[in-house]
Amino acid sequence: MTDQPDLNDPIGAPGAKLAIPVLALLSALGIAYSVYLVFYGTPLEFGYNEAGKLNGSSLFFNQKIFYFHVAHAFWLFGAVFVSGASSIAYLVTRKAKWDDLASAATDVSVAFGAVVLITGSVWAKAAWDVWWHWEPRLTMSLLLWLVLVGYVLVRRFAGAGAERIAAGMAIFGMVGVPFIYKMVGSDSHPAAGGNGVVLTLAPEMKGPFWICVVSFLCWFLVLVLSRVASTRAERELRELREHGLDLGVLQ
Amino acid sequence: MTAATKPAMTFAKSAMAKLIALGVVLVAFAGAAVAQPAAGSAGSAGSGASAGSAGSGASVAGAAEAQPPVSPPASAAIDPRRACTEAMNADPKFAAAITKVADEQAAVQRDKDTLDAHQSAYAHVQKNEKHVIYSYAAMWIVAALFVLFLWRRQQALNAEIASLRRDLAAAADDAPKGRA
Repeated sequence: MTDQPDLNDPIGAPGAKLAIPVLALLSALGIAYSVYLVFYGTPLEFGYNEAGKLNGSSLFFNQKIFYFHVAHAFWLFGAVFVSGASSIAYLVTRKAKWDDLASAATDVSVAFGAVVLITGSVWAKAAWDVWWHWEPRLTMSLLLWLVLVGYVLVRRFAGAGAERIAAGMAIFGMVGVPFIYKMVGSDSHPAAGGNGVVLTLAPEMKGPFWICVVSFLCWFLVLVLSRVASTRAERELRELREHGLDLGVLQ
Repeated sequence: MTAATKPAMTFAKSAMAKLIALGVVLVAFAGAAVAQPAAGSAGSAGSGASAGSAGSGASVAGAAEAQPPVSPPASAAIDPRRACTEAMNADPKFAAAITKVADEQAAVQRDKDTLDAHQSAYAHVQKNEKHVIYSYAAMWIVAALFVLFLWRRQQALNAEIASLRRDLAAAADDAPKGRA
């Protein structure tokens, strides 16, 4: 039997036991402050056209979705990168810690992806009066999320060797992220990158937005570390069962 | 007839004459009184008729006076805007008055447009509230479900690991005795 891991210490580094509670506290404070700023510290988004009338594309109160939708999208992509990079490391080194990290990051990315897709769909309904638009970026985002769901299903049901199959899927998902980010021909979804919405935000909106991003980074790390602890516990349980079978305690 | 009876007879005659004179006067007044209404009604009727005829005559005369002047022929009609412009050019006071009225009306219209824009924005804000609520609800529900999933899974894993460890420890304790 291997050394018994401390399940409350997912990182296994000195002082790491404090990581989850500290990050959880930071994320709670940050998200609470973000909600306050978004609803009381940022102006409504609207503009006037040349005729002095309100722009039809003005989002008004609906723009409040932006702060959390985009913050989740940032860390969805972050989670997919962590998952892909950890999978590469696992395939190269075959060390279980990389597989644990990849699995945890992918689980969190499924949750963040669900938030991005749902909030984006509601936003589309408000802005374009449709729940879904089959434009390239949205479609690619949905496909990425389905790949991530596939990863989770493979890990759960594929049996022996599932880690390596899942690692391949995670790498596939990671490669797709830049295409989503830079998807050309995106006719409805706001642009990203240098001329994108984030970098051209009004000054009063930038501060709250980046506070949201940092707060959700803390939240993302809390979830990933917690899930790593859970994954380590699953690995520990598998090893205990094998040991029990070896001893004849289990049948 | 005696001398004493003569003055009496004279007095009687003069009294009779006074009574007759009084009767004549009374009859005359009575006749005048009786004749008065007939004369009044006849007079009023006559004056009404004459007044009516005079009134109708006056209205006819008034109608004749109120008739508009004869309009110019259609070919002579001019563009009102051009006419106004020419009048403004001809009279600076008139131009100033017209400009003032136009500015006031434009200001009223601007105020109305501003109010409409605010009302439209308010309607948009109201309309979009529900979408923001949907989004935030979805975000918190997904987060809560994920945390609940993590917590329950961790609890189940910890319990199962503890149980297995106890069984394995017990088996390890029993193994030397069995072998011995």
